[in-house]
Amino acid sequence: MAEQEEQQQITALDTPVPGPSQTGRAVALARLLHHECTHLLQLYKEKETFLSDHTPDGGRILSLSLDSEEPSTEEQVLLLHSALRQCLGLIHCVIAKEEEEWGELEGDYEAMRKNVRLRLEHLLHSTKDLAETEDKTLEVTPDHQHHTEETDGAGGAFGLKMWTYRVLQELIHWADHAAQTLHVLHKEREGTEEI
Amino acid sequence: MPCISSSSKPNCRPVWLFFALLGLSAMHTHAKEDLTVPEQVSLSANMSTKQLSISWLGGTATTFDLMILRTEFNETVFYETVSVTVNQVSGRHQWNWTSVEPLECTSLSIKIRSRDGQTTSEWSSTQILQGSDLPSNDKFQMYPQDKVVPVGANTTFCCIVEEGKVFGNIQQSNTVMNTMQLSRRSYATTVYNQEPSVRTGTNILCYDYPKTQLTGAVVFVGYPPLPSDLMCETHDLISAVCQWNEGRDTHLYGKRRTLYSLNKRICPQTQRERKCIMDQWDGNWTLVAQNPLGQYSLTYSAELSHRVRPEAPANVNSIVHAWYATVLWQWKYSTYSSLALVCEVELSSQGYKTTHTFSGVGLRSVDLPDLYPDEDYSVQVRCSAQQNFWKWGDWSKPFFFKTKTYVPEAPDVWMWMNRDNTGQVIWKPLTRRQSRGQITGYKVTFWSPEENQQHTEMFSPDTTAAPINLTQFATFSGNKIKATVIAENNEGESQPASVLIPLRLTDVEPLVVSRAVHTDSGFPLFWWKDVNSTCGYVVEWHEASCKWDCPVEWIKVAARNTNVTVESANFQPGVRYNFSLYSCSSEAPELQQRWQGYMQELVPSGSVSLSASQQDSNILLTWGEIPLVKRRGFIQGYNVYISNGSQLALLANLSYQGARNYTVKGFSEGSYKFTVKAYTSAGEDTGATASIMLELYTDWLILEILASLGITALFLIIVTFICYKKRKWVKKAFYPDIPEPKLPGDWARTQGPLDVKPSPHSMVHIVEKPEWDSSKEMLVVIPEEDEDEEGQGIGDEPVDTDEPTSLRYYNHVVDERPIRPRYPDSSTSSASSLDSARTDVTYTGIQTSGSSLVFQLDPQGFSEGHQPQTDQFASCVGGGGGYRPQMQTRAQSDDMRPASPEPFLDPQVASGGGYKPQSSWNFDVDAGESCGLAPSLGSPTSVASTQFLLPDEEEHGEEKRQLSSSAATWFTNLLSSTKP
Repeated sequence: MAEQEEQQQITALDTPVPGPSQTGRAVALARLLHHECTHLLQLYKEKETFLSDHTPDGGRILSLSLDSEEPSTEEQVLLLHSALRQCLGLIHCVIAKEEEEWGELEGDYEAMRKNVRLRLEHLLHSTKDLAETEDKTLEVTPDHQHHTEETDGAGGAFGLKMWTYRVLQELIHWADHAAQTLHVLHKEREGTEEI
Repeated sequence: MPCISSSSKPNCRPVWLFFALLGLSAMHTHAKEDLTVPEQVSLSANMSTKQLSISWLGGTATTFDLMILRTEFNETVFYETVSVTVNQVSGRHQWNWTSVEPLECTSLSIKIRSRDGQTTSEWSSTQILQGSDLPSNDKFQMYPQDKVVPVGANTTFCCIVEEGKVFGNIQQSNTVMNTMQLSRRSYATTVYNQEPSVRTGTNILCYDYPKTQLTGAVVFVGYPPLPSDLMCETHDLISAVCQWNEGRDTHLYGKRRTLYSLNKRICPQTQRERKCIMDQWDGNWTLVAQNPLGQYSLTYSAELSHRVRPEAPANVNSIVHAWYATVLWQWKYSTYSSLALVCEVELSSQGYKTTHTFSGVGLRSVDLPDLYPDEDYSVQVRCSAQQNFWKWGDWSKPFFFKTKTYVPEAPDVWMWMNRDNTGQVIWKPLTRRQSRGQITGYKVTFWSPEENQQHTEMFSPDTTAAPINLTQFATFSGNKIKATVIAENNEGESQPASVLIPLRLTDVEPLVVSRAVHTDSGFPLFWWKDVNSTCGYVVEWHEASCKWDCPVEWIKVAARNTNVTVESANFQPGVRYNFSLYSCSSEAPELQQRWQGYMQELVPSGSVSLSASQQDSNILLTWGEIPLVKRRGFIQGYNVYISNGSQLALLANLSYQGARNYTVKGFSEGSYKFTVKAYTSAGEDTGATASIMLELYTDWLILEILASLGITALFLIIVTFICYKKRKWVKKAFYPDIPEPKLPGDWARTQGPLDVKPSPHSMVHIVEKPEWDSSKEMLVVIPEEDEDEEGQGIGDEPVDTDEPTSLRYYNHVVDERPIRPRYPDSSTSSASSLDSARTDVTYTGIQTSGSSLVFQLDPQGFSEGHQPQTDQFASCVGGGGGYRPQMQTRAQSDDMRPASPEPFLDPQVASGGGYKPQSSWNFDVDAGESCGLAPSLGSPTSVASTQFLLPDEEEHGEEKRQLSSSAATWFTNLLSSTKP
């Protein structure tokens, strides 16, 4: 029953709203990504049950530095785009390391992990379209600047598990952040909260 | 030794002791100077194997003491004397030690000294192998990481808590493990007999206290590889493709998976396939499987020509015709052109598969015969080497083709004629296979051979019947016409199919209609061979209820056959079918035989029409026939029920299907409800009900009354006539003259009850013999002197015990009711005569009824139990009517005794013979005493009689046989009493 409800919810989120704006589609996409990231973490906890009652205290993997104290929404979207690229780099790294460590699998977790990667790439294209200007060209390729040191520091298969856990939580955080930021942009550009 | 012996010199002993110790010390110092103290001790640790390699310069010594301590707690981990030879190349001594705990767990101090027997050198300088619990490394850690161990092994883990934190516990699968402290921050635990781990390994977790931080390690528990079934074959006749079975699951995946190499060449691995391709056929192969837990080798040898497995044929194509096709394909490798091949071609059509086998060198095409025109086919091909067969190659991809069209098959034609000279020529629609292409229409031709006239009509492809009206051919001289049907498609016309139709229908209803019984395979029908049949038979069938243009089905049977099993998908349960057999000849088909049958009999769906009527005093139930379509089975009979409230009681089962009525008899007037249910082999229908009010049948009653009256009147007339004719006898019998008593002397007659004293020498005594019938009772004159003798001899003979012996007669009112026995001497009427003279005779009127009996007083017989009371009852019932004088009942009491086993009709009792004088009638007798001795029955009529009947024995015997009824006895007595 829970799976059915979840599937219905996904279907509802996937259903294209008639005539949504570009920002509206981006908000919907970010919300869908957030939902899928949450589900991915849930699936991972089912695999590694010891993580169920553990909260990592390593803080954020990704941190963004703002040039101004009160950045505009467009600046926030730019920062968001940068964060999402790093998130894409993280999920790429997770996929690569897990496949190396455990081998290639085709379970629910692996399928959702692939979904998240594709959704994240899709959202990156959306934010690029929203934030890109004639003066500034944005990339949609994965940014791998953060993951190397973290994984190396953790060490071993147990470290990979803990790091993966942190990455998945990081993805949830940034997907939620993307939904909120894009919603603000949507309100500013469309003048309505309706998606 | 004065120092020893003299104890008065106390300074002597210390001096001696001093020199002794000095000597020993000198000797020891000399020994130490000989043993080299190990120098340049160096440590080399292999963390993954937990092995510590210790090397030093130890001179010529070969024995050393090694001491290993946990540095922090100064606990000895290892302290043993070991023999180590010097390495001639390096000149150093080396010894390896394997730790139980991971070497990272805590710092270890190692020192060595040389030993020569009991002599040792000084300890070398202590070398420390630094652990990961140094304060400089303040992280929360656990060791070993990613250890791979075999199933069942024991592994020791250690957890180093973060600097400043407190150790909590170590867990595995939520189980808290026992731990041992190794140092200030390091704690160790051992997991025993480990089970295979999951794909991502087994987690060992370490928590601090309180539970704020987590670290851990993953251990991978599995098996070394164990592959099997290595096999190599060739597809291109050059290279080798080797495959094997992975064997048991090693539980090790990813970077710890099993790696395979064939002839020392690494085999690329995919997730599912375990195979390795070698460019050349080596003939001998060695497969090595290796994972972190070990390796395993397999070998295989074979000749190339014995391991040929051709590739699947490629680019399959076909050249099609109407009745056959040529299938062609290509080979991926040109080397096949000289290879002798055997190929299987699997042909599929309409769900059926057939396999054809062909062979040839470099085979690339085959012809497939026996195909059907305009048919869809699918074909697949696979091949193998004809010589040294190894394995079939893979099937080619399916190839689909369709054969060309052809002229249609001739349709199957039959006819149906109605009784009004109309009918139709019918034919079975051609199947797709029979059509051989799209049917464009049917051409029907009616042709009269005699008149040589023909009439042709065209019909659309979906038509299966052509109407015919024989009146159109009424002027024809012949007796038949020929109907010909031709199917047409784009390829042309089919062969004509014809049927002969009689022009003069003879209204012949055959024959005997037999029953056809359905079996699992259909209706089996059998018939006698018809010599006139030249072209076989036609068996047609249709629903029996159909009369006009019926949807008839038929099957044609060869002339040599005399049976067929008819089956049709159209057969329905509960439907009667007519099956007709026609013989085929040069003339029109002739009906030979007919059957009727049901595929499955059901209970009738309708009921009979029932009516009830009164016929005299009986009830006549009549009903009609159930319509054919509602019978749904052969009616086997009818059940007639009477309705008792809500229940039906079966009155009759009429197991005759033609029964149409039933007469219910023996019912009194009243209201009745009857139900009649017809039944088939499947059961009975719901039934039809009829009610009737049965009234009194007065005519018959009146007739009965009149008949009774007439018979009674006739009887009275006869009796009157007889009485008239026998009036003298009646007078004597019923009213005889009373004779004058003959008394000795001159006795004055006095009025009053007769009290006669017999003459002393003329005594009358009733002689009774138990074995005698009452008819033998007699009055005999007993001399007085005999009386005494007899009285003494008999004792308590039930003779009249009065003194003197007297003779008494009692009239009895006798009926058929049970008899209450009385004692003979209880008669009051005779009491007055007891005082009379020697001869007392009391005459009492005896009343007869419809039945009478004779009571024989026989006390002796009574005492012997020969005459139970039931006999008296029997005598009362069975005794004939008539006169029964002066009898004493045998019963002595009123007690009801058990029934005697003797026959119910005792001859002595049943017999009505014997003494039968003086009848009188008294109707005022109490019914309960009618069979007993009733001395006071009515007014006694004194009757004197000397005409006692004393029948002889023969006569008595004869009477015993004949006079079983009391009426007969009475009549006999009556006749006897009339004798002069």
